[in-house]
Amino acid sequence: MVPPQYYLLLSAALFCIGLFGILTRRNALLFLMSVELMLNAANINLVAFSNVWGNVTGQTFGLFMMALAAAEVAIGIGIILVLYRNFDDVDVTKATTMRW
Amino acid sequence: MVGIFDFAPAIVLLPFVSFLVALAVGDRLPKGGALAGIAATAGSLLLAAATFLTVAGGRTYDATIYTWAEGIEAVDLTFGILIDPLSAMMLLIVTLIAFLVHVFSLGYMNDEGEVGLPRYYAGLGLFTASMLGFVVADNLLMAFMFFELVGLCSYLLIGFWFREPGPPSAAKKAFLVTRFGDYFFLVGVVAVFATFGTAAFSGSESFPVLAEAALHGEATVNTFGFAPQTWFTIVGLLVLGGVVGKSAQFPLHTWLPDAMEGPTPVSALIHAATMVAAGVYLVARMYGFYALSPDALAIIALIGGFTALFAATMGVVKREIKQVLAYSTISQYGYMMLALGGGGYVAATFHLMTHAFFKALLFLGAGSVIIAMHHNEDMWDMGGLKEKMPVTYYAFLSGSLALAGIFPFSGFWSKDEVLYETLIHGLGGSPVLLAAYAMGLLAVFFTGFYTFRMVFLTFHGEPRTQTASDPHSVRWNVKGPLAVLGVLAATTGLVNMVPVEKLLGIGGIDFLHQWLDMSTESLNAHHYGELIPYSSAYIGGEATTVAIGAGVSLGLALAGAGLAHLLYNVPEPVEHTDRLGGIKTLLYNNYYQDEYQVWLANGVTRPVARVANKFDQGVVDGVVNGVSSVSLFSGSRVRRIQTGVVSNYAVLLTLGLTALLLAFGLLGGWFV
Repeated sequence: MVPPQYYLLLSAALFCIGLFGILTRRNALLFLMSVELMLNAANINLVAFSNVWGNVTGQTFGLFMMALAAAEVAIGIGIILVLYRNFDDVDVTKATTMRW
Repeated sequence: MVGIFDFAPAIVLLPFVSFLVALAVGDRLPKGGALAGIAATAGSLLLAAATFLTVAGGRTYDATIYTWAEGIEAVDLTFGILIDPLSAMMLLIVTLIAFLVHVFSLGYMNDEGEVGLPRYYAGLGLFTASMLGFVVADNLLMAFMFFELVGLCSYLLIGFWFREPGPPSAAKKAFLVTRFGDYFFLVGVVAVFATFGTAAFSGSESFPVLAEAALHGEATVNTFGFAPQTWFTIVGLLVLGGVVGKSAQFPLHTWLPDAMEGPTPVSALIHAATMVAAGVYLVARMYGFYALSPDALAIIALIGGFTALFAATMGVVKREIKQVLAYSTISQYGYMMLALGGGGYVAATFHLMTHAFFKALLFLGAGSVIIAMHHNEDMWDMGGLKEKMPVTYYAFLSGSLALAGIFPFSGFWSKDEVLYETLIHGLGGSPVLLAAYAMGLLAVFFTGFYTFRMVFLTFHGEPRTQTASDPHSVRWNVKGPLAVLGVLAATTGLVNMVPVEKLLGIGGIDFLHQWLDMSTESLNAHHYGELIPYSSAYIGGEATTVAIGAGVSLGLALAGAGLAHLLYNVPEPVEHTDRLGGIKTLLYNNYYQDEYQVWLANGVTRPVARVANKFDQGVVDGVVNGVSSVSLFSGSRVRRIQTGVVSNYAVLLTLGLTALLLAFGLLGGWFV
């Protein structure tokens, strides 16, 4: 059996890749993908611990989170579409009208 | 049982209704609402007379009408009606004079074609109603409220001709000066509540009774750490502040001569029966309280004696007929205060009554003269009016004889009793009273002089102007009130002929003494006589003292009148006042009291206010503004993190999370 530390390392690496994407990219679509990566990093954690403890609750929540991610993507795509319509671009640094 | 006392509130409410009627529909009524006012005051007069007769039957009345603030484990604030001989007598005086003034106003205002009559009659109605409410008040707070209403009405009526420059300024002055006194009164009312837990005038739980019990150690009241005697003096003097303002006593008398800017019938009402009388009436109403404090009584007597003399000297040089009367009013109220301070409760009430009649008469007489003179008030433009207007002349003469205190007119009896009471109590070991008596006695001479100077200049000699030789005629509505008051001024002295009783030994003709003795136990004159801290002493015997006192005051009055006769009862009088030199200027400028008060306001109050303003603007507002400017400044800096760029927010989120994890780690000991 694979020790849980490996899962955690994988999950942390995936999360950091997603975070890196959010902090460095300007394209809204890449933002969406990075968020998916971070969500799935959390998912890996859930499934891994479910496996370690022999308890299916974690896996059930993993399924829930997939559904949730799907819904989030749908909304996210919608937001990006509106963004494009209003600013003719999907660059998030251009949409800076909501500030002081 | 439905008795006359059940209608007592109507005495107050009728003039109030006339106020509402005149205000609402006065311009659609004939005579501009005058008839409503006349009907209302006549109704009040009849009810007051019926009440008077019932009280004469030995009944008094004290009932709470309405509790407008119910106290929970505290005092109730109520409106109530107290009718005893004192208030019944005052009700009769006020309603009678208000009625006559309303009738007279038909001649003075309507016939002269004044505009704004509904406003005038509304003011008169409210004025009468407020004064009547004040008279029947059964507790100090209610008295204070109506006291203030009286002040408001005087403001409205003095400033009746508000388009001219003088009246509004005089109205403001009257309002502000009396307000200044009323501040002390208000503090006094609160002090009475805080001390006794009640402000009722009558009954076994009234504050004068409680104060008396506290002095004898039979009751405990909250005296705020002072000895009861000291504290009662302080409270009494606080209330006296309002009295000094309203009754125009020195040093708050300056509003009254200026109040002559109002219509003459209003002056009559203010001076005889309402506003100015309110102050003296208040002291008489709570005399059981003042009688407990020798210091307060001494101060009242000194203020009164000084004011009597002070105002009388100023009246000597005035040119306008109403100015002379104004100063005589101040002087006469000084006598009433002198009597109250000197332990002469009945004497003060007596003088209040006779003065109400003869001063109303003199003002209405002056009003009649002013109509005749086409509203010229300068006595040097008059002369010789005696033949042209005999009714006015003889009525005015009756009032003048009463004012000067000439036997047997009413003023002689009352003024003599005032001086007599002060004298015997002064001789009984009170030098302060003797000093006040001396001032009062000296004022008699001046009173005689200025009164007859006024009479001779106005009515005797040759007419000095075209108008005076062909005066405007007056009608029944002017002559009627004058005739009624003329008779009253001549005869009301008969209700209290104490000197005759003492000299000739005829018992039972001191009707006013008996009348005021009929009140309930804690409110009658006999009780007050026991309370006052004076003992009596006589020169020779009692009868001798009476004779000497009456003789001296009558002699001085006659001397004053005789001097006026010598100087001014000639066909072509000249201004002898110039012989007084610098004193004339001093008197003519009222001892520079106005200038002095303006200086007080400009030289003292204003710098103090300026410093207070600086403190408020600088320190109080500075702290508030400082706090807010710190928030504003920091806010303007902190808001810059809201860049609108999503990536920046993500950075902040990440940094925040990292910081949180580090903090947890350090505190939780993960790195050990």
